Amino acid sequence: MKEQLEEIRRRAMAELSDDASEAQIDAVRVRVLGRSGELTEIMRGMREVPNAERPAIGQLINQIKREVEARIEALTEKLKAASLTKSLNEKRLDVTLPGMRIARGHIHPITDILEQMLAIFESMGFEVAMTQDIEDDFHNFAALNFQPHHPARDMQDTFYVDGGMLLRTHTSNGQIRVMEKRRPPLAVVCPGRCYRRDDLSVRASPMFTQIEGFMVDKRGRITMAHLKGVLTEFVRAFFGTTAVRFRSSYFPFTEPSAELDMHCLLCDGAGCPVCKHSGWTEVLGCGMIHPNVMRAVEYNPDEFQGFAFGMGVERTGLLKLRVDDMRLFFENDLRFLNQFPALSGGVR
Amino acid sequence: MKLPLSWMRDFVSVDAPVEEISRRLSFAGLVVEHVEKLTPGFAGVFAARVLNVEKHPNADRLNLVEVDAGEKGKFKVVCGAPNVKAGMTAPLALVGAQLGKEPPLQAAVIRGVQSEGMLCSERELGLSQDHAGILALGADAPLGGAVAAYLHLDDVVLDVEITPNRGDCLSILGLAREVAALFGGRLRAPRLRAAPSGDAHDGAGFAVAVSIDAPDLCPRYAALAMTGIKLGPSPAWLKRRLELCGMRALNNVVDATNYVMLELGQPLHAFDYAKIAGGKIVVRRAGETREFVTLDNLTRTLDPNDLLIADPDKPLAIAGVMGGLNSEVSDATTTILLESAYFEPMTVARTSRRLGLRSEASYRFERGIDRAGQVGALIRAAELIRKIARGREASPIADFEPRKAEPREIALDLGAMESLLGASIPPTVARSRLKSLGAQVSTRGKGILAVVPPSFRSDLVEQADLIEEVARLGGLEDIPARLPERLSALAPVNREREFITGTREVMLGCGLTEAATIAFIAPADNARFSGIQIAARPVKVTNPLSAELSELRVSLMPGLVTSLRFNLNREARSFHAFEMGKVFRMDGDIATEHNHLASVSYGPYAISAIGDQSIAAGFFTMKGILETWFDAIGISSHISFKAIEPADAPFLHPGRSAIVSLDDTQVGLIGELHPAEAMRLDLNEPCAVFELDLSSLISYGFSPRKTFEPPPKFPTIRRDLALVLDRNFPADMVVKTIRDCGASLLESVEVFDVYEGTAVAAGKKSVALACRYRAKDRTLTDEEVNRIHAVLIEQARMRLGAELRQ
Repeated sequence: MKEQLEEIRRRAMAELSDDASEAQIDAVRVRVLGRSGELTEIMRGMREVPNAERPAIGQLINQIKREVEARIEALTEKLKAASLTKSLNEKRLDVTLPGMRIARGHIHPITDILEQMLAIFESMGFEVAMTQDIEDDFHNFAALNFQPHHPARDMQDTFYVDGGMLLRTHTSNGQIRVMEKRRPPLAVVCPGRCYRRDDLSVRASPMFTQIEGFMVDKRGRITMAHLKGVLTEFVRAFFGTTAVRFRSSYFPFTEPSAELDMHCLLCDGAGCPVCKHSGWTEVLGCGMIHPNVMRAVEYNPDEFQGFAFGMGVERTGLLKLRVDDMRLFFENDLRFLNQFPALSGGVR
Repeated sequence: MKLPLSWMRDFVSVDAPVEEISRRLSFAGLVVEHVEKLTPGFAGVFAARVLNVEKHPNADRLNLVEVDAGEKGKFKVVCGAPNVKAGMTAPLALVGAQLGKEPPLQAAVIRGVQSEGMLCSERELGLSQDHAGILALGADAPLGGAVAAYLHLDDVVLDVEITPNRGDCLSILGLAREVAALFGGRLRAPRLRAAPSGDAHDGAGFAVAVSIDAPDLCPRYAALAMTGIKLGPSPAWLKRRLELCGMRALNNVVDATNYVMLELGQPLHAFDYAKIAGGKIVVRRAGETREFVTLDNLTRTLDPNDLLIADPDKPLAIAGVMGGLNSEVSDATTTILLESAYFEPMTVARTSRRLGLRSEASYRFERGIDRAGQVGALIRAAELIRKIARGREASPIADFEPRKAEPREIALDLGAMESLLGASIPPTVARSRLKSLGAQVSTRGKGILAVVPPSFRSDLVEQADLIEEVARLGGLEDIPARLPERLSALAPVNREREFITGTREVMLGCGLTEAATIAFIAPADNARFSGIQIAARPVKVTNPLSAELSELRVSLMPGLVTSLRFNLNREARSFHAFEMGKVFRMDGDIATEHNHLASVSYGPYAISAIGDQSIAAGFFTMKGILETWFDAIGISSHISFKAIEPADAPFLHPGRSAIVSLDDTQVGLIGELHPAEAMRLDLNEPCAVFELDLSSLISYGFSPRKTFEPPPKFPTIRRDLALVLDRNFPADMVVKTIRDCGASLLESVEVFDVYEGTAVAAGKKSVALACRYRAKDRTLTDEEVNRIHAVLIEQARMRLGAELRQ
């Protein structure tokens, strides 16, 4: 009987091979475990087994039963999994098709450039102040030491509007607006739109963006050396070059006045058509705040001193982005705008 | 200002290469914009004196000419020019000479006579088209010397940008002074001494009287009469210098005045003396004189405050701006009156600007000329006119200075200089730099210099001006770059900026791309897109670039719509953009500015996967964006949308647009463009827009919440409710009414469906709402909720006059 059982086990296990089909498995189940299956039949014949052997035989039957059941279970699971895999594979997506989306918008390049600039100045301790576009003569000119009828006013062709006001020609009005309300120490940047009577062209726009900055403190605390230091650091952070130079210049509201040049980004100082073969490009104007400006905001020029600077955001942007058409900033051509980040400053 | 280096070298010797001169000038604030290196169009041409002229034996119109070319020798040439005569100096092209692109000159036999060279006309030298005769060189041309060098044809000309504060550099001498200061060279200023009186002017004499009635505008006026004038062309070298500086040669008298102006910076004017009544000059305001005919034969309308040069009878010139036709120097002129005056910059600037008349003279007066240079310039001009126009002084120099220039002494505290620049510049260096500019420098006390600026530097008025000069001449290189040692306390938060930045983030996240448009627009666009305030009066630009840009926008919409069209014309299928910018309107008489946010959305908004339905831009996609943003700012509960009346915004679709209000104050508009407007713009799909005035929203800001609650511990129970209402009854009123019923434990009410159709009566709709109930302290039972909900239904039905839909 024992041999008979071993034979049943051997045959069942052989038939329950790894690649057994569902039908084969079923056949084994019916033949071995079924109501009139081989094991049932043997159980029925147990009466003929001597008592002494019965427990051992019974044990063996149970053992074979469990083994076969486990094996069938395992094989069935495997078959199910295989069939699932098969059916899933039949419904595969083309994962290369585009997804459903609400596209994130893109930051305008002027904002992008401006925010990068502001972030640099804010990290150096400057605060940001917004001031007005419609301005009076005092804040745009007189307080900035532009004398009436002085030819310096010709440097900036001004728009006038109804009501006797003008459109600011620079963000330097921010200097006056902030200083007349507050006392030093001050470290402020004023971004904003400015307006000058230029037709929209490759080089110019009647509306453009500037950023004005200034630092004022007690005499001797903020010097021209600090002006050089802060602006050199700005150019390093923004353009990634330390090749800068300061040239004397003239602005009515600063003295000494200077212009900051940096190595031309295209030729790295070697000279090319873009920089007129000089190797340098102009970045911004700056200087020590003129005593007359201090007087205009009722600061005593013997007590306070400071520096100021101003730069065109579009112009600087053109340098950094290496495009050369001002009109691109105001046409809003998506083919241009979509090249700018969809995440704002700091994340990049 | 054009600076021919040959002319500059009259006053200063510098060995440095031109590149270095340009560089140092540029660093000192005098930017050299362009360096032009001139090359003559010929070679092998020398100055030669005509010794004698004989008729050519075989040709009537030709002459045989013997010339002396100094060390080059004497030559015999055949010449056909009518103006050749013994004693003149002319350019002689020798055999082998290169004239323009012609092959080298060869010895030739002309009508049987050997010619050893050629006397040249201006055309043959490529100087002009003049071929009437041979070019007469000045008597000072060195015989045998290269004509190209004599005429400065191999010159280098720097184009220097002069900033408005540096009127003193609008002259060759002024720039030479800068170069001398920058290179440590010595300036050789011209020696200007009047001819000994009684010597030059003849006995007859011509009276010159000057009366200055407006000393506030003209502190000094000098004049000189010269007679025996023979008007004619100027010599070639002088013409050449004028041309190098960008001026046209006219005649020897005018050229001489221009020459002196370029050289010394003092504008001069020559009147025909015969036209001045009694030889008497009156400097006065225009007053009653209303009109004046200027040299260019145009009648100018005068302002009573314009400064005139007149005689006792009539005006002769607008001071510093332009002379008059009535006293112009002409061929008939034999005696002239030369004017050399100082006019206040402001008066010249005001008049020339008002008349739109800019001249080389007004340009210099406006920027401030040498306050003490008037007599010197007259002397220099007289010297030239004697030489080139045969003039002689006919009077002593009349020099009137009713208002003396007060010498200013400025104290320069070297300590203050160090604390401004952040650099220590040795006193000896500071002193010598100031001296090189022509200032007188002495020591006033310890560490203090007393500086008297020269008369031509009206821009130096206080200590800061001197500090700038010292720093400038060092090219700013004495100053190190340092970071400030101490930064002020943490900058305060700028709420406005935070709000703008946060709003931008939300808009970008909602799929809108940021645009920027120009604030100047056409009146028609302002009329069409009236923006949030239908009655807003646009701000007009007084001096617009064009009629199309003559107003400031009252709305951001026209710019965005133009950008939409721009992109559609370039194959874009959709355009979703926003702009934050200023709009402008008149509040009474005052032009005001307002921060707005606006958006235009067109075409597919949510792009589906292939096979699914895309969502196109429309009222509800736009409203969703605004709602997202209001949530982000935390003001959703203060916001309401109300259908517009057509008159609120004629450019919007009357059935698909709303007014946006914050606590019952209108802050914006949202909707789809009116179909007529869409058609005008050639749009085939709905175009959704919104515009909001940000000013009232900024105060809400993106401020973080201050208190927080833990999430609820017990679940909600939902009960639905469907009410049949008039079709036009707004859903938010339904929700509000239900909330106002004040059912206890009611947490939220939400519309989840709106049905119109056969199951409800015509003109009605069914609104389905989900009401959620929750208690903080326990799980509600169905029974409890049913009781509350039944009461709510009854109340809502009554208050709304609605039927319950089963």
